[in-house]
Amino acid sequence: MYKVLPKTDLPKLIGRWMEQATVYAPVRQGDFTKFEPLSDPAQADLYYAANTRYPPKSLFLPQSEVMFRVKDGEFESTEDEVSSRVILGIHSCDTRALQLLDGVFLTGDYQDPYWAKKREQTTLVVLGCADPCETCFCTSVGSGPFDKRGADVMLIDIGDEYVADVRNEKGQALFGHLPDASRKQIDKSRQVQAAAAAGMKKPFETEGIKDKLYSLFDSDFWPKIQQSCLGCGACTFLCPTCYCFDIVDEAQRNERVRNWDTCMFRIYSQEASGHNPRPTNTERVRQRIMHKYAYFVELYDEIGCTGCGRCVRYCPVDLDIRQIIRSAQAWEES
Amino acid sequence: MHNPYKPIPMRIARTVVETDDQSLKSFELVFEREADREKFFAKYRPGQFCQLSIFGKGEAPFGVASAAWEGDFVRFTINKIGVFTRAIHKMKSGDAISMRGPLGNGFPIEDWKGSNILIIGGGYAFTTLFALAQHLLAPEIRSQYNDLTVIYGAREPGLFLYKEEIETWYKRDDINLYQAIDRPVEGWSHFVGYVPTVTKEIAPSAENTVSFVCGPPVMIKFTLPVLDELGFPPERIYTSLEKRMKCGIGKCGRCNVGHKYICKDGPVFTFAELRELPADL
Repeated sequence: MYKVLPKTDLPKLIGRWMEQATVYAPVRQGDFTKFEPLSDPAQADLYYAANTRYPPKSLFLPQSEVMFRVKDGEFESTEDEVSSRVILGIHSCDTRALQLLDGVFLTGDYQDPYWAKKREQTTLVVLGCADPCETCFCTSVGSGPFDKRGADVMLIDIGDEYVADVRNEKGQALFGHLPDASRKQIDKSRQVQAAAAAGMKKPFETEGIKDKLYSLFDSDFWPKIQQSCLGCGACTFLCPTCYCFDIVDEAQRNERVRNWDTCMFRIYSQEASGHNPRPTNTERVRQRIMHKYAYFVELYDEIGCTGCGRCVRYCPVDLDIRQIIRSAQAWEES
Repeated sequence: MHNPYKPIPMRIARTVVETDDQSLKSFELVFEREADREKFFAKYRPGQFCQLSIFGKGEAPFGVASAAWEGDFVRFTINKIGVFTRAIHKMKSGDAISMRGPLGNGFPIEDWKGSNILIIGGGYAFTTLFALAQHLLAPEIRSQYNDLTVIYGAREPGLFLYKEEIETWYKRDDINLYQAIDRPVEGWSHFVGYVPTVTKEIAPSAENTVSFVCGPPVMIKFTLPVLDELGFPPERIYTSLEKRMKCGIGKCGRCNVGHKYICKDGPVFTFAELRELPADL
């Protein structure tokens, strides 16, 4: 179902949602934008260039999250402490990331109740990406700037209006009362979508990448490509599909919390005996790349990267995952 | 929705100092709630592990070292080596502690009914193998399997675990026990030599036999070729792996070897399975 929303009406609509739910949207903070809960509809900045610096994964997997409050040895779970939320202006790459992480958190013998509850309580109003930037490569990893998978609503900017592709009941609850889009408006939205994807370069081939990486496991490829890596972990913290976490006790606050962790740190896999299966940066860089482009593919038949480009954009030494994959594909053992 | 991160309350019923150097202690934990006990034993099989939890010191994974028939307790044998293990070593019977589990796959022992069972253990990796042997020694279970052979090596006699129980195995005719120490010690009447050498000497038949091998990496490294020579295919050699873990349920990411998570897909693997994975241990 296609609805139409004049841009000038957006603040009013946001205001209406804010009566029922917490609304998150990109908010400008100096030279970057970040998803924040809105206190005023005018704070929402849907014209953010590239991507928000931080992906909205922290709204589902907070950087530090209380799992239990501990009282007299009893662990009281906190997963129900989340109420209805709307995320406005999330791009397809970050939406796709949430879907990929559903595979991790919601499938198999154990489901993660913290993730499940937040997903259930959240409506995703995705903003199609009409102007993908230099570092974007979603089309190379099985997605695209208007990938609708995981969207409850997809907004397409056609100039003075948004065409809202309402995908399900959650979306219907937010947009159902708006007038239907005209044939002409829908056609225009299709042109916008086609033009955006067509303008994107394909920096590497993913065909056969999993097997190629397995074949390179013990090769000189990894020592070579890791040389400039500082092991700072910025790529993992800013990555929308990186989800590794640590569980620690904050004894003074009587809380058991989980914190983002990163495979780029030595201590991540360091054992009490002193043994470390990934003792140097070589093994750690290999783990990061292979998790996304081999192990994730093995497990879920999807590449565990959405092409958002943050790791490319914010790496302090300009390591570029696109270049790494390209080099891997081209690598021949000497 | 069930919260798989939520520990259940337990109590320490008994502690036993296992080794002469005091570094290994066993803790027998009992359930505070009957429903938890039932749930645990409905799922538990030897080779599985639990996350033990002391609030303020965190959680750590330990293999279960008891068989269900031994009683309403769960035994863990713990080496004093890190923050958590130092804390638990200070605890006494009657103290409260928390637990999650059983976790992991365990030894698929039911798949091998009618087979001979060969257990090879070294040092304090013997914990879950002990649970396996004890499990097999239950009268109604023992009759479902053929010969049961245990080869168990330690550096010196004082470093063997479960000394009292193991002593009773010598008196039974349904288990062949071979204990070995690294160097001769006065009064030691069993084998002297490293586990691979002793295994070669004993030369258990590979015919209709499945083996379970746990020990320090160097023991594993030299025992595998011996088993190969004796005719054990890698599909019939099981081992149990360890890695740093946090969640224990395949979510937190750190214990992977290739696309497998040791906590969730393991900790028990055959060497045929391990050959298919990248060497990331």
